[in-house]
Amino acid sequence: MTLADFLRDRLRLTGTHLGCEHGVCGACTVLLDGEAVRSCLIFAVQAAGHQVRTVEGLAKGGEPSPLQRAFLKHRALQCGFCTPGFLTTAQALLDRGLPLDRANLPELLAGNICRCTGYQPIVEAILEVASTR
Amino acid sequence: MKAAPFAYHRPRSLAEALDLMAEHGEEGKALAGGQSLVPLMVLRLAQPAVLVDLADVPELQHRDGTRIGAMVTNAALERDGSGLPPVVAAALPHIGHFQIRNRGTIGGSLAHLDPAAEWPALALLLEARLTLRSRDRSERTLGAEEFMLGPLTTALAADELLTAVTFPEWPSGGRWGFAEVARRPGDFALAGAACTVVGGRRRVVVFATGALPQRVEDPSEIEATGDLHAPAAYRAAVATRLVERVLIQAGEQP
Ligand SMILES: Cc1cc2nc3c(=O)[nH]c(=O)nc-3n(C[C@H](O)[C@H](O)[C@H](O)COP(=O)(O)OP(=O)(O)OC[C@H]3O[C@@H](n4cnc5c(N)ncnc54)[C@H](O)[C@@H]3O)c2cc1C
Ligand code: FES
Ligand code: FES
Repeated sequence: MTLADFLRDRLRLTGTHLGCEHGVCGACTVLLDGEAVRSCLIFAVQAAGHQVRTVEGLAKGGEPSPLQRAFLKHRALQCGFCTPGFLTTAQALLDRGLPLDRANLPELLAGNICRCTGYQPIVEAILEVASTR
Repeated sequence: MKAAPFAYHRPRSLAEALDLMAEHGEEGKALAGGQSLVPLMVLRLAQPAVLVDLADVPELQHRDGTRIGAMVTNAALERDGSGLPPVVAAALPHIGHFQIRNRGTIGGSLAHLDPAAEWPALALLLEARLTLRSRDRSERTLGAEEFMLGPLTTALAADELLTAVTFPEWPSGGRWGFAEVARRPGDFALAGAACTVVGGRRRVVVFATGALPQRVEDPSEIEATGDLHAPAAYRAAVATRLVERVLIQAGEQP
């Protein structure tokens, strides 16, 4: 059983979405020991002994995180299917403290597919959070 | 899209891992980053009965200069490529997306041997030595040409593990080039080329063009094959231009 299926079907943490189930779309991205990884390409048993943070773990005390608020403000989601993967990917990039800008973000986000937004609002939302740190 | 049931082992030493590989033979498979094996398993193109997860085998996790343990991830080498040939650093960002590089390993890529993958091309270009271990036979070290038998086919026996990949020291004054064409960043290449120029000796490799990465003296030798991603003529034409490009990068007259 993959980590994605374990999260969704056993733990009922359905924030993590499954699109392609073979590593291409990024919807299932979670943080494993802080690193963004595809939960569809890891068996649940491989995560034993490691820390897994899903999109459910971004909010604190029921309050959306700064990144989640920025997504809301910039309308960085429409149908929302890709959103958990973008949020976890972006959180990993922000946590790494790398300089993020309009030039490097499109490539860093290339592993996540969105069919609705055209990506621009997602880039704007992440840049807003990056600029406040 | 669900894997068939399998038994799972996570050995804590190389000796234990080699025992498990010997015990399970054709039934068993090593699991490295899982970025190729897990998709094959969920598509049921592979149905190993036993997985031997190498994640906790300490002997495989480290790099000692140009000797890279099989389980070292692409992300780790991207963060610290010091002492490695610079063409490696140029190729790494092309290996899938960063999330894939967080898991994918050098050993997994070479053992999987996708014709469009970067590591096999680098191994051939740089004349890497691959170290193979099993429980019941003595350790052997193969050159890239001996290791790579065909697409997705290596010299690894069912009970054998790739333990390390060793690159020659990169000489100061060595020159190199690397270029590939993919539809989007992170996709497998449709065609690629790389070269080194060391002590006046020129070495050129093309990859993603045919069954295996290919060493060429002249672009006319490129053996391209077509598939649903690109026809053979396109691959050959693009690879020919990429060979020129990498030679120019290396300061050579193409
Ligand atoms: C969306 C996506 C895009 C990708 N793009 C690229 C790309 O552009 N370029 C590229 O090169 N790759 C790409 N990959 C593949 C990725 O780099 C894989 O990680 C890599 O090919 C396999 O490495 P792994 O560590 O994940 O191995 P695994 O998937 O764990 O294993 C692969 C195979 O090798 C065997 N194996 C692993 N380690 C050993 C060992 N030490 N000894 C013996 N056998 C072993 C396994 O049994 C299995 O058969 C992509 C993958 C995805 C999902
Ligand atoms: S569902 Fe995992 S990458 Fe698409
Ligand atoms: S918001 Fe619909 S796929 Fe991204």
